[in-house]
Amino acid sequence: MLTADLIRPRMKSRSKQIVIDWLPAEPMMIKTAETLITLLTAHIGKTRGEWDAALDATISTRVDYITVRGLAKVLEDAATFTPIALAVDPADVRRHVFGGGMVFERADLFHPKTRAQAIQAAVVHFDMPTEVVERALFADRGGEYLLAEVGQTWSPADLIGRYNLELARGVLYWSSQMRVELRDGYKDFWRYLKLFKLMFEASPLPKGGYHVMLEGAISPFVRQTTRYGRQFAAFLPALFLGERWSMQADIHLPGWTAEYKLDSKLPLKSHFRKSGLYDSALESDFAAEFEAKFGASKRDGWLLQREDEIILLGDTVMIPDFSVTHARDGRRCLIEIVGYWHPDYLRRKVEKVRAAGRRDLLLLVYEGVNLAQERLQDVPGEVLYFVKKPVMKDAIAAVERLAI
Amino acid sequence: MSGTITFQGGTLVLYDVEDAPPPFQMIKGRPRCEAYHYPRLIEWIRETGIRDNVPRWQTLNLKMHDDRPAHDYQIAALDAWDKADRRGSIVLPTGSGKTFVAIHAIQRVGRSALVVAPTIDLLHQWYARLVNAFEIDVGVYYGGEKIVLPITVTTYHSAGDVIAAHGDAFKLIIFDEVHHLPAPSWGEAALMSPSPFRLGLTATYPEDHEQEGTRWRVEDLIGGIVFALKIDDLTGDTLAEYRTQRVRVDLTPDERKQYDDDYAIYAGYFRQHQLVKTHGKFWLNELMRRGSFDVDARAAHLSRQRIIALLAGCEGKLEALEKLLREYSDERCLIFTENNAVVYAIARKHLIPALTHETKAAERKHILEAFSAGEYHAVATSKVLNEGVDVPEAKIAIVLGGTSSAREYIQRLGRVLRKSGNREALLFEVIARDTIDVSRAQRRRPQNVQR
Repeated sequence: MLTADLIRPRMKSRSKQIVIDWLPAEPMMIKTAETLITLLTAHIGKTRGEWDAALDATISTRVDYITVRGLAKVLEDAATFTPIALAVDPADVRRHVFGGGMVFERADLFHPKTRAQAIQAAVVHFDMPTEVVERALFADRGGEYLLAEVGQTWSPADLIGRYNLELARGVLYWSSQMRVELRDGYKDFWRYLKLFKLMFEASPLPKGGYHVMLEGAISPFVRQTTRYGRQFAAFLPALFLGERWSMQADIHLPGWTAEYKLDSKLPLKSHFRKSGLYDSALESDFAAEFEAKFGASKRDGWLLQREDEIILLGDTVMIPDFSVTHARDGRRCLIEIVGYWHPDYLRRKVEKVRAAGRRDLLLLVYEGVNLAQERLQDVPGEVLYFVKKPVMKDAIAAVERLAI
Repeated sequence: MSGTITFQGGTLVLYDVEDAPPPFQMIKGRPRCEAYHYPRLIEWIRETGIRDNVPRWQTLNLKMHDDRPAHDYQIAALDAWDKADRRGSIVLPTGSGKTFVAIHAIQRVGRSALVVAPTIDLLHQWYARLVNAFEIDVGVYYGGEKIVLPITVTTYHSAGDVIAAHGDAFKLIIFDEVHHLPAPSWGEAALMSPSPFRLGLTATYPEDHEQEGTRWRVEDLIGGIVFALKIDDLTGDTLAEYRTQRVRVDLTPDERKQYDDDYAIYAGYFRQHQLVKTHGKFWLNELMRRGSFDVDARAAHLSRQRIIALLAGCEGKLEALEKLLREYSDERCLIFTENNAVVYAIARKHLIPALTHETKAAERKHILEAFSAGEYHAVATSKVLNEGVDVPEAKIAIVLGGTSSAREYIQRLGRVLRKSGNREALLFEVIARDTIDVSRAQRRRPQNVQR
């Protein structure tokens, strides 16, 4: 992520709203992006220090140096710099060499040992060639690390796009709270929420979707804390995985407070990975078979949808795999398939289902599972066991019973 | 009653408990409160039979290897803190052994402890003192290193992160220079910690009016003052005699040309735009701000940077340094430079240790100790030794450059000139003739320093 000094100059405030000075993909910037990509690629195998110097030379007297540095930072973050491979710890080399005492290039009466002799002693001691000893001396400094790879194949447009995403993220460094309205992509949203250790409070929106307030553990007690700003920023690309969402955050800068808004109309791409439509073949097979036999195209059919409802459980959520809605009368029920699992996973799942207390939830559980059946008995809704795959006839009968 | 209480990111959360009393509030479906309430809740937790999952601290079997006897006032301070249920602040004048008191507090408690220091320099100093006192591995958590161990040192800046993740791993938390605590983001860390034992250390406890309008008071976060010793109760250390000497060097013809060219650009801009007149001491910020739209300002700024880089490591200075090092190679010398590049160049050239912000805690400790023991005769450093670091053995300081702040200068002086024996200490200021070095050195020298 970009550092605050690279973000701040590109934030403007207009009537209490934060406006980002987006970087347009116009010819001059495309050219700059191209220059930087080429320059970095040319530095594979060279040190970070050399790259820094080359970057300074490229920027020279450009007045848009903050932008160029920002673009370069995006490239650096994706790249990998590694220390040179050595058989010894550089700190040990230093201890040995420096322990021999201060030296000078030329010897004199009081300083009979020259620098060359001191290095030669280390060459013998460590059994390494002279140049390796010289390099090893400070090989653990960041500036001595070598550029191993650039990390991804960049096009100038990719770089500018990613830079803009980083600007969008960076504004959140100064935020105390994030409020999101989302209408799809629930699963990825909550997956990343958990990953970045954020807390939330969600409530359904009247016309579908959810309002979610994000904050950190201590936020409710310390208003306006920006302690979690970096986590919000880290999380933000998860929002861009969804199709329809909007976001608001309160931004606290020394001397002023403003509002920051973003939504899915913004043409930015997330670099986070979107999860596949189905988690397992079990799910995709079920969906295909269900649609073929009882799908919305049939008479009295059911519309099968993927993860379109969340069950709110205080500080966590459950997102059932499917919902089915009767095409004609609108009756609806949720379906969760429990396939291959670990006992702990199943225990948590059962606890969630119990906590949900939903009578319109159908659990399809793979029998091979060594779960004691009685453990699932006080689960609301219905539980159907299956051996190879769910029996469609039984499933639809259960749906008919449970749907409300 | 069943149910559990758990530490979560700086808060306490109750699971399966109905009707939780204040300070708990229902937030996100569960009763929650700030973790610093924990010690006051212990009794309630016990009475109601709630399972207490909070404490994850360890019992430590600490052997004290620092066998210097404690002063009476240090023992009195510790006893007072013990009597106050091991909470509250000890106010002691600078130089009266606050760290020593804290180390004894850790040993008395014998449980995992977290020390919070204001700066990375002080963090390094705590690290060295703790390792020496207990001869165990000590964790350090700050921007450069993140190692959490049963005894860990962190900075106020990073404390929130350590505590959010590991606050329940420490039974004792010590705040060095505790007067920093009323600052908003710094006090948050104390609020997030469940540690029942808390110790604040300071020479200047915040006055009532200084704490007014702040979000919290030090007393609320760690307890009141349990012991205070006034400055005149102690006799302070006196500084040894010292002498400052200027060494003037010339730029080489090439350097002179580069300097003059850059100076013309830089000075030219300033003749036209009198930033010091219009912006006072913020002239540099203004120059940088203008650099984002005005090519001339940008060029002037870059020229200034090149001038400073040139002066930091010009040949004449390095030659002068070599002469001084040859002359004083039996003494302990500290070399101060403007930037890290020059530190590492000197370290390479003369094969002497470098101390910069890149130096990790363990190696830094080793360098300073080996320097004190006389194993190393010289150490090259940039700005890291600026505050509160003791190197009493240093007899020679060689300043090759540095910012013009008077405070920095005085502290640099103070460090080399700490009394040890009765020999005179020497401070060499190496400056380049006919350059901005001269005026910078002038500014650096506070009026009350003897020549």
